Amino acid sequence: MFQGLNFEPVVLPETADALRKEVRAFLDEETGWFPNSDFNTGASAEFSQRLAKRGWVGMTWPKKYGGSERSFLERYVVTEELLAAGAPVAAHWIADRQSGPLLLKFGTEEQRQRFLPPITRGESFFSIGMSEPDTGSDLASIRTSAVKVDGGWLVNGSKIWTSGAHLNHYMVALVRTEPASENRHAGMSQLLIGFDDPNVTVRGIKNLAGESDFNQVFFDDVLVPDDQVIGEPGNGWVQVISELGYERSGPERFLSSFLVIQELLREVGSNPTDEQAALIGKLVAELVTLRRMSISVAGMLEEGKAPNTEAALIKELGNTFERIVPEIVRPVLPQDASAHFLATLNDAILHAPSFTLRGGTREILRGVIARGLGLR
Amino acid sequence: MREETRLIIETTNRILSDLCTPGVVDATESGQFATQLWQTLNENGLILAGLPEHLGGAGGEMGDSLTVIRCAARFAAPIPIAETFIAASLANFVGATSFSGGVVTVANGEFELSENNTLTGKANNVAFARWADRIYIPAKQQGASVLCVVDRDAVELTEQVSIAGEPRDTIEVNLVIDAADIYQAPSELQDYARRLGAMTRSVMMSGALESALELVVDYSLTRQQFGRSISKFQAIQHQLATMAGEVAASIRAADSLAQLQQPVELEVAFAKSRVGQACGPCAEVAHQVMGAIGYTLEHHLNHRTRRLWCWREEYGNERQWQELIGHEMCRTGADELWPRVASL
Repeated sequence: MFQGLNFEPVVLPETADALRKEVRAFLDEETGWFPNSDFNTGASAEFSQRLAKRGWVGMTWPKKYGGSERSFLERYVVTEELLAAGAPVAAHWIADRQSGPLLLKFGTEEQRQRFLPPITRGESFFSIGMSEPDTGSDLASIRTSAVKVDGGWLVNGSKIWTSGAHLNHYMVALVRTEPASENRHAGMSQLLIGFDDPNVTVRGIKNLAGESDFNQVFFDDVLVPDDQVIGEPGNGWVQVISELGYERSGPERFLSSFLVIQELLREVGSNPTDEQAALIGKLVAELVTLRRMSISVAGMLEEGKAPNTEAALIKELGNTFERIVPEIVRPVLPQDASAHFLATLNDAILHAPSFTLRGGTREILRGVIARGLGLR
Repeated sequence: MREETRLIIETTNRILSDLCTPGVVDATESGQFATQLWQTLNENGLILAGLPEHLGGAGGEMGDSLTVIRCAARFAAPIPIAETFIAASLANFVGATSFSGGVVTVANGEFELSENNTLTGKANNVAFARWADRIYIPAKQQGASVLCVVDRDAVELTEQVSIAGEPRDTIEVNLVIDAADIYQAPSELQDYARRLGAMTRSVMMSGALESALELVVDYSLTRQQFGRSISKFQAIQHQLATMAGEVAASIRAADSLAQLQQPVELEVAFAKSRVGQACGPCAEVAHQVMGAIGYTLEHHLNHRTRRLWCWREEYGNERQWQELIGHEMCRTGADELWPRVASL
C-alpha cells in the first residue's frame, strides 16, 4: 500500500453543526458583494474585519495571540461555508491559512506577539512572495537577494504574481541569503517585508478577467530588520515546504467553480433531463469525495502531521475538477439559460486557467505525487 | 482504523497471498473452482464476517464484510464472496432465522412466484451460479416482494462468462418452492439487493484499482529503457500520478461505504459513480505504462483490469447512478444544494 493514498475517514466534531449555523446566520446578514466561490476573487477588508470580530480569522491559534483555539476541523467548517457562499475572503485568506501558522511554527515570540493579533482582528493582511519573473515552478532558482548589513538584510530583486500586494500589509518573501550553490535548496530565507516601505514598488498586472488582483513587486535596497527574518537564515526551503499541507489541501482547491453547479441546478429546475441529471450527479459525487478527502487531511493537520503527498493529490484532483466544471456543463445547458447563469459561467471560465497554476502547477503536483509513489 | 478491521485485513491478506495466486485465478478461467481458497476463508469466519451469528456469520459489522470483499478483490479472488454477502444480507433484511451454508449466489432478474408457490423467471449474469449450492432469488408474488431460495441443481443453467472470464451464468427457473424457502419481504427488496450489489462492486473496484496501481508502479521501477527505469521519465510519472489521484479518490469513496450500517442509497450512488468512472482512465494508464506484456494473459495485470471493466457495469454503471444523484439533487434545489452536501 502506498503512503499518501489513504485518506482515513474523519468525522467532524460535534461542535461543527452549531458553528456552521452561526456562520450561515452571519452570512445571511452580509450584503454588498457579488458572490464568487473562487477564494482569490473578492477582497474586502471590511468583510474580513466583520469576520474577525466573530473570532473566525486565526481561529485555531492560541488565545494569547488573539486566536480562539478552535480545531482545524472547526476552521474547515468556517472556510467551506464562506467559499460555498461566495464570500469575499481574499483579504485575510493567506494570513489566516498560511502566514500565521508559519509564524506559529518558526517565528520568535516577539514576532508572534507583534504580527498575529492584528491578523486575528482583520487589520493585517499578507501576501506570498515566491514566484519571480524568471522563476515559476522552479522555485529554487529565485534570485531576489538579501545581503547581511548592520541591523538587518538589504533586499534587491523582484517578485511577481503577488496576489493582493496593492491591498495587503506584508509579504512573506522567499529570498536568497547566500548565493546559489550545489545544494540548490540551501541558502534561502523567509523575510517579512512591509509594503509600506518606500523602497518597495508595487505594479499592478491585470488578469485576463480584467481584474487587478496580482502584481509585480520591486525591491530596491529595502532594509529588512533582523527581527523580521522568519526562522533560521538559510532554512527557507524547509519552511516553505512545511506550509504546503495548509496551502494545498483546503476546500479552496475544489470549490472555486461551486457556484456554477449551484446555479446550474437553478437553471434546470426540479425536472431535469436525464443527461442534465447525470452530469449534476457526476459533479456532486466528485465534490462529496473531494470534500471528504480534504476533511481527512484537516484531521491529519490537527494531529500535527505533514501530509504533503495527500495535499498534492487533493490539489491535483480538486483543481482538475473546478477547472472542468464550467467546460462540461456547457453542452447540457437549457437553450434559454438566464443572463445570471451565463454571468456566473463566464466568470468561472475566465478564472479557470488560474486554478491549475496558482499554489503549485499541475505539473509540479504530479511530480510530488510521483515522488510519493516512489518513482523519483 | 479499528483494531478489528486491521486484524481482518491481516488475516484475509495472509490467506489470499497463499491461496489466491495468479495460477489459481487462471485455473478458474479453465473451469476449476478455487475450493481450497473458499474453504479456508470460510473456516476463518471471513466469508460472512459482517453477518449476525444466527445466520452463520461472525457477528461483525457490515463494514467488516466489505473489508474482506475489498481484500479479495485486490487479489482478483474468483469466488462468490460478494454474492454470499448479498444473499446473507438479504436473508437478514427479510428476518430469516437461518442462512444456508456452502457456496451461495444471488440472481437478479424477473421472477414471479405464483399463488401455489411456483417460481418462474430468468436471470442473466448470475455470478458463479454453476459452482453454487444454493441461489437466493428476489421475486414478486402478486405485487409483493418475496425472497426465494432454490437449489442450484433445480434450475436450468446456461454457462456464460464475463469480460473477466468469470462465470456469469444464465438461469431459468420453473419449479415449486418449499414454503420454508420463501420469505415475505419489504417491497424494496429488489432495490435493496441492487444497492448491496453496487456496494460490493464499489469496494471491489477500489481494491482492484489499488492493486493495479501497485503492479504498474513496480513494473515501471524495474523496466529499463534508454538506459534507465521508465519510472524516471516524466511522461510516465505524470500518467501514474493521474492514476494515483483516481485511485485515491476511489479508495476514499469506497471507504465511506464501510462506515455504513445500511446500504444508504445516496451513499451507494456516490461510491459507484465515483469509483466506476475511475476504471476506464486507470485501466488505460496501467496498460499504456506496462506496454505489450500487460496486454497478455501471461501477466496478471489482466486479472485486475478485466474485472474493473466487468464490475463497473454490474448493479448499475456510473451513468445510471449519476442520474439518480442528479435527480435527487435537483429535487433538493439550488439553495439547498450546499447544505445537503455539507451534511453528508
